[in-house]
Amino acid sequence: MILQLKDLFKWVNSGGNRVFLLNDIDLTVNEGEFISIMGPSGSGKTTLLNVIGMLDDFNEGEYIFLEEPVHNLKEKHRANLYKEYIGFVFQSYHLIDELTVYENIETPLLYKKHSRAERKAMVADMLDRFNIVGKKDLFPSQLSGGQQQLVGIARALVSSPKLILADEPTGNLNSAQGEEIMQLFKKLNDEGVTIIQVTHSESNAAYGSRTIHLRDGLIVNK
Amino acid sequence: MIQNYFKIAWRNLIKNKGYSAINIGGLAVGMAVVLLISLWIYDEVSYNKNHENYDTIALALMHKTENGKTRTRRPMPYPLGNELRAKYSDDFKHVVMSSFYWDYVLSKDNNNLSKYGGFMESDALRMLSLNMIYGDWDGLKKPNSIVISQSTARTFFGSENPVGKHMKIDDKLNTTVTGVFEDLPYNSEFHELEFIAPWELYTISYPWVKEARDKNLWDNNSYKLYVQIADGKTMASVSETIKTVVQDNVPGNNKRSLRELVLYPMKDWHLQSEWKNGVNTGGFIQYVWIFGFIGVFVLGLACINFMNLSTAQSEKRAKEVGVLKSIGSTKKQLIHQFLSESFLVVVFAFIIAVLLVLLVMPAFNALADKHIIFPFNNIFFYLVSVGCIVATSFMAGSYPALYLSSFHPVKVLKGTFKVGKSTTSFRRALVIAQFTISVTLVIGAIVIEKQITYSKNRPIGYQSEGLITISKNTEAYKGKYNTLRNELIKTGTVVEMCEASSPLTDVWSTGGGFNWEGKDPNFVTNMGLFCISHDYGKTIGWDILEGRDFSRAFPTDSTAFVLNETAVNYMGLTDPVGKTIRWGKKKYKVIGVVKDILRESPFEPTKQGVYMINYDNTNFVRLKLNPEKPISEALTTIETVFAKHVPNVPFEFQFVDETFAKKFNTMERIQKLSNLFAFFAIFISCLGLFGLASFMAEQRKKEIGVRKVVGASVFNLWKLLSKDFVKLVVLAIVIATPLAYYGVNSWLNNYTYRTQISWWIFVVAGMGAIGITLLTVSFHSIKAAIANPIKSLRTE
Repeated sequence: MILQLKDLFKWVNSGGNRVFLLNDIDLTVNEGEFISIMGPSGSGKTTLLNVIGMLDDFNEGEYIFLEEPVHNLKEKHRANLYKEYIGFVFQSYHLIDELTVYENIETPLLYKKHSRAERKAMVADMLDRFNIVGKKDLFPSQLSGGQQQLVGIARALVSSPKLILADEPTGNLNSAQGEEIMQLFKKLNDEGVTIIQVTHSESNAAYGSRTIHLRDGLIVNK
Repeated sequence: MIQNYFKIAWRNLIKNKGYSAINIGGLAVGMAVVLLISLWIYDEVSYNKNHENYDTIALALMHKTENGKTRTRRPMPYPLGNELRAKYSDDFKHVVMSSFYWDYVLSKDNNNLSKYGGFMESDALRMLSLNMIYGDWDGLKKPNSIVISQSTARTFFGSENPVGKHMKIDDKLNTTVTGVFEDLPYNSEFHELEFIAPWELYTISYPWVKEARDKNLWDNNSYKLYVQIADGKTMASVSETIKTVVQDNVPGNNKRSLRELVLYPMKDWHLQSEWKNGVNTGGFIQYVWIFGFIGVFVLGLACINFMNLSTAQSEKRAKEVGVLKSIGSTKKQLIHQFLSESFLVVVFAFIIAVLLVLLVMPAFNALADKHIIFPFNNIFFYLVSVGCIVATSFMAGSYPALYLSSFHPVKVLKGTFKVGKSTTSFRRALVIAQFTISVTLVIGAIVIEKQITYSKNRPIGYQSEGLITISKNTEAYKGKYNTLRNELIKTGTVVEMCEASSPLTDVWSTGGGFNWEGKDPNFVTNMGLFCISHDYGKTIGWDILEGRDFSRAFPTDSTAFVLNETAVNYMGLTDPVGKTIRWGKKKYKVIGVVKDILRESPFEPTKQGVYMINYDNTNFVRLKLNPEKPISEALTTIETVFAKHVPNVPFEFQFVDETFAKKFNTMERIQKLSNLFAFFAIFISCLGLFGLASFMAEQRKKEIGVRKVVGASVFNLWKLLSKDFVKLVVLAIVIATPLAYYGVNSWLNNYTYRTQISWWIFVVAGMGAIGITLLTVSFHSIKAAIANPIKSLRTE
């Protein structure tokens, strides 16, 4: 088991009413799973992903990540935890425009204790793995969408996380590029990385081992 | 339409209160500083302009060259005035000989008051175009007349017309009041004048002046000469014509010194008062330039900040521009819109600036020692103000107006609009410029401070505590020395008393004609001359380095010298005590050497000087108070003793240490002003930095979010954002260091006695700048760093 959410609630108060963003979520994710979260706009998919990624907090319930109770952890400890074990992939890639492909991939390593030589080796390994060695000195604006997302995934993977969180990773791509990215996720999953993705597309969801449907913050089936 | 522009502009200001406050506040502070500096400069350049003949009046100066060195001095020989009148009448409208001004005792009946004034030839009133309240410009034609200032008239005569009334000068010169002149404004060279008496009275009343006239003494320089040049003549040509008059007339044995006359125009008196080797090297004008430059710079800074903040807001305004353009607004109309907005801000800022200036005016006047009045009734001020408001609106508003109005409506409405990078490098350059100037100013301020401290710690050569000086300005003191001294000491309030010819803080008399064994025959001597009583050394507590003090036990001390250290070096004596020095026809024996006494500028070397016993030629009584007695009690006791022995003379005294402290007045005033302006320059630079930081944080929001998601801590991000600014400031420090070094070095070169420019000054200024930078940008960088990244990374 990599993580477990128990009776988790998240709400906002709007005009005297309590609006639930996440409503009594119970979810257990085992190591090696590839989970797809689906649901209509505003159903809480991204919120759930952010809570799992520890970017967002919640109001009630428990969250256990690798046997650590996230809800009781201090900010700093929590930051260390996700820095170590979680990688993010975004719909609009969110690469840093001012940095080259190489530097973008290197960024997460800067915030951990790696020597320059170690970083070089790790980045080189990633470039190699995704066949983008030739593009390492280009800037994001010089790449196609699919290539940018490749870099985004390489960046998420460079520090060898246990869990990848992907928020509509193919949302900005055409179908061929999307296909390619999903194949890559499949391959990574086969290599043992746990993946949770948010998606609108049934075909993308089909790559996963399990699909969770959300509506108005509630898990409607399991 | 215009109304509509202002309406939108006003609502925008209200909507972004914080931003408007920084923008208007920053501009207002900048404008207030500029207003203060402008008023200060206006005041400085308006000196002496109240005199109608401002452009044609001059003071005669003499460049005296001895041993290859040229000194420029005011004292002129007596016959010069008559010579110029007789032989060069075409060149001058007025030639006015004058005594040096001093405190005299004026009396009316039994009312005796010390008043500052002098004796001048009768054309003085006409030349200086004094406003006569009673009498006219011919008031000094009769030898026994006196012309007094309005305030002097008021103290003696109340509201009565004093013309025809009798007054006495120093209890011996009988005069009749022939006129009253309106008090001169404080920015006139003559504003301290309380009375003027005729030159003729001076000549016949003082034997040494009479002697100068009767014997036609061309080599005794003790008087001033003012002239007004004739219409149609130029100052330079007249100056050239009379250049050699003194040299041509001095007796032959004095020709070894070269004397060159020069006319020093009134317009230069206040701001260009320094002479080095016969050349005018400026003076206070340098500060007028420096502060003027700071003023322009501060206004520039404030405008730049305004532009920066406005363009930084552009992403927020972009949508408005898109909407307006899509509903048919032209670019021109948008430019008008944004210019109206900047005009509104500038007008607000100006009003606040005027209020600020009115608020700080008394404090500023005290600090700058000025009497500046806000020029509300000066039409010129309003014209300049309106001009400045319009110019500033354009300067500050044109860039944002052009920039904002050029947005493409489709792009900004779709939300893909991003502020360009080119504006960022422009901003960076501005920050570097701002900090270069600020750091330079801070270094300047530190060096001024250091120079003052250094000169204040310079040894003065005597004990100044409890020393008071009383001016012996009447004959009443004659023959009272021993009586006064014995009685004062008997009261126990005074430890010792002496008399002297010079104040302790000046050299009143210098002379040449010294000769000694081993002197180079071509060497022209000039030394400070100090006539003193036997008790001088004990009173002031001087330091005897060799030999002994004067003593009543040695009657031969009447022909003895005590030299100061500099004199020993100047004369090149190796074993001075016991040596004989010839002075004129007499021989003097050196009996002692004393440590130099700091009398003149604390920034210049001490002049070589000789001390001699001479009871007949003293101008001051000096007392050392008993430190164990309370001062006020001691002064009362002393006053009663003086009242008994020197009746009809007002008891007026000065503490020597207070007089000494005045030597630092100008420099301390400059220090205060430069501190003030440096502070504001930094303040405004920080505002600019603050604006830039907010802009950069906004621009890098996404990057910060991404970095945070991939694991950056708040500290990492703070470091990342601050680093950029620190880099800019370090660059500014690198540029400022040689600039400031050059500036302070050339400033210090004005002074012979000067402090070191230590390396730590640059370190302190640099570290200070970096510290302030970090403080300023931290607000925005920490705010950006702790923001939740999911907000900035949300995909709409």
